[in-house]
Amino acid sequence: MDFGNYQLDLTHYDEMFLPDGTPRDGSGPLYEALTGLSEEELAGIQERVTHSFSTEGITFTVYGDEEAEERIIPVDCVPRIVTASEWAFLERGLVQRITTLNRFLSDVYGEGRIVQDGVIPVDVVRGCPQYRVEMRGMEPPLGVWVAICGTDVVRTNDGFFVLEDNLRVPSGVSYMIANRKAVKAGLRRVYRSSRVRDVEHYGRLLRETLREVAPRGHADPSLVLLTPGIYNSAFYEHMFLAGELGAQLVEGRDLVVNDGYVYTRTTSGLRRVDVIYRRVDDDFLDPLVFRPDSLLGVPGLLHAYRLGNVTLANAPGTGVADDKSVYAYVPDMVRYYLGEEPLLKNVETTICRRPEGLEYTLDNLEKLVVKRVGGSGGYGMLVGPHSTAAEREAYAQEMRANPSDFISQPTLALSRAPCLVDGRFEPRHVDLRPFMLTGRETRTVPGAFCRVALREGSLVVNSSQGGGGKDLWVLED
Amino acid sequence: MILVRSAQGLYWMSRYLARAEHLCRMMALQMEAMVDRPFREVHFGWSRIYGTMERTPPWGDIGELESDEGLLFDSYTLAEDMTFERLHPESVWSCFAMGRENARQMRQCITGEMWLGLNLPYLRLQKMGIRDIWRTSPETFYNETAGAISAFTGAAADTMYRDENWFFMRLGRAIEKSQLTTGLFLTQLRLSRQADESFDGDWETLLRLYHAFEAYVVRYAVQVEPGQVLDLLATDNHLPSSLSRMLGHVEEAIDALGPGPDAAASDELRRLAGRVSALVKYEWDGRHNPEPLLNEVYSHCRDLHDLVSATYFDYPIQDAPER
Repeated sequence: MDFGNYQLDLTHYDEMFLPDGTPRDGSGPLYEALTGLSEEELAGIQERVTHSFSTEGITFTVYGDEEAEERIIPVDCVPRIVTASEWAFLERGLVQRITTLNRFLSDVYGEGRIVQDGVIPVDVVRGCPQYRVEMRGMEPPLGVWVAICGTDVVRTNDGFFVLEDNLRVPSGVSYMIANRKAVKAGLRRVYRSSRVRDVEHYGRLLRETLREVAPRGHADPSLVLLTPGIYNSAFYEHMFLAGELGAQLVEGRDLVVNDGYVYTRTTSGLRRVDVIYRRVDDDFLDPLVFRPDSLLGVPGLLHAYRLGNVTLANAPGTGVADDKSVYAYVPDMVRYYLGEEPLLKNVETTICRRPEGLEYTLDNLEKLVVKRVGGSGGYGMLVGPHSTAAEREAYAQEMRANPSDFISQPTLALSRAPCLVDGRFEPRHVDLRPFMLTGRETRTVPGAFCRVALREGSLVVNSSQGGGGKDLWVLED
Repeated sequence: MILVRSAQGLYWMSRYLARAEHLCRMMALQMEAMVDRPFREVHFGWSRIYGTMERTPPWGDIGELESDEGLLFDSYTLAEDMTFERLHPESVWSCFAMGRENARQMRQCITGEMWLGLNLPYLRLQKMGIRDIWRTSPETFYNETAGAISAFTGAAADTMYRDENWFFMRLGRAIEKSQLTTGLFLTQLRLSRQADESFDGDWETLLRLYHAFEAYVVRYAVQVEPGQVLDLLATDNHLPSSLSRMLGHVEEAIDALGPGPDAAASDELRRLAGRVSALVKYEWDGRHNPEPLLNEVYSHCRDLHDLVSATYFDYPIQDAPER
């Protein structure tokens, strides 16, 4: 099937083609393979990929006005290519960034030097709803606050940009692996000949990482994965990762705290837990410390954590470092803590809690993307160029009422990659979420959950907003 | 060493599915009986189903069925009530849905084959109502649903690792089937006693329910005799679903699981499992008033459930040993 009708637009970086329409470095074999397949063959591959998601039950939950709905994640069978040198650059930048953010967390819950030195205003840190005073003075094992991180990265004609850091309970890694399994089965010949780097060892790396951050260097710690339960949007991922880790998948009601230690309730008695990979938000972790109405958490868990008897990965309170206002200061943090220039760029961010920031944003609403500081999943975001006057006015009213809840960013010309849409190749906007694991060292798997805005012209890649996924192939050197 | 919640989920999943399967098999035979059996036999069949499930019909009492029209009309309502009534926990739908819900929550403890084997029939059942099955061949629906549960059990036997997950599943199924079987025998004996002397009590249906008719003919004779039927169904260890075999499975599962955190409850559970199994093995006499013994077994099945809960699920945290 040819790319005859595939429209290149030079204002957007194309992940497969150079501006002159020839395949980029590393994309040649994939291009050849795709053009060598008939329309029916490609449709068959796409159908098998989709079917495998359906039979495996790889779903996410969309929260509507009335009730939650389970959906299969749409997956596109055309992979996106990242060359070895591009990946090496991204990896260095991501490691630099997560190292910085871990130091920032140690600092803001410790001495607070960065605030005292005026690098970041105190109100930005202490005014952040994710700053947890309960964590003051804490130092997790190895100083690792964020053991698991998923960073959203986009590309424009000006290079890679970090869109946001997900440091609380980042999700999507199971889709990265599911995409890989499904797509490589469909494109087996070109997969082998392209020398694609493996991602399916993520579970092993995660296990090593969690063992390293066990309390008091425990050599053979007992791991569990704490899930909010079957109705959580990422439950499939929780189940998948528990299987990969060889850990029990527990809910809050499975755990008890006794004499400062955490135990699972088993049919043979109580079994000590050393490391909890928690996929429950801070607010719900411990009703004695955070939300008292939480039924998802474990009473006394923070007490056991403070005593150093259990590790929580990620640590509570990490949300202060991925807050959308704090994000604006990450390049300064890199310079402050590491004495280096940031390798990965930030998107220019205007903080609306500042009067001049609010004024600028209100004056330029039709050009900007405005986000809620505590928002996620693409919910409650205003994409100025795609909004109506009425939507902008309603948004402006909310911003005037609570300016500190908002930030704005210029609308980025996100890169595009070919997708199979209605039996032909069409360009769609993409981003990528690579995952980093930090224990004694920071590890990455050479791959990412690549998200696609499947609606034509849409910039929103979130699965809850009509986005899908595609496999991302990092090539060997 | 598995989570209490996982053990409970698997135990209840098995109990609900065993109940749904048993009910489907009884309903399939009842639907067949409606084609050509006399009124009173059909009436007897409904009474037996409701009695075994310890339920009453929507209007409170089976009553008398006195004509073809009444028989058809009432049977339609009774079948709908027993099959699709979502508000009643003992309908086919409710039992199947509860079994599947427990499986959904325990997906990490069961195999992919088991999940698919349960989820696909559930999705089909979800869209059905009595009108979809009544006009053509309702017994086919019941046989297929019972078959799906049998296939699920077979998939479990073929694919599950023999760890605690497996034994909690097996324990739930064996306790449920023991209780259902005992309840059915007691209902059958009570209804037979109440029937007039010209009615044979439809004991053959019991044999067919347990796939035991051929075995009966080989072991005894073509003529069906109630005491021999009970002997076969209660004590024959070659019959896959005989009462003694099910109680043997209870004992085996408890042995394999070992003691729970509550030592006193553990001892009591093992003792009772042995006692009830021995009752059927050594003290059974189906031909001379088996009801007292069946009542005792029935009561012990309930006690076994309570002791399983006390031993493995609801033990006091403060006294629990650390493993």
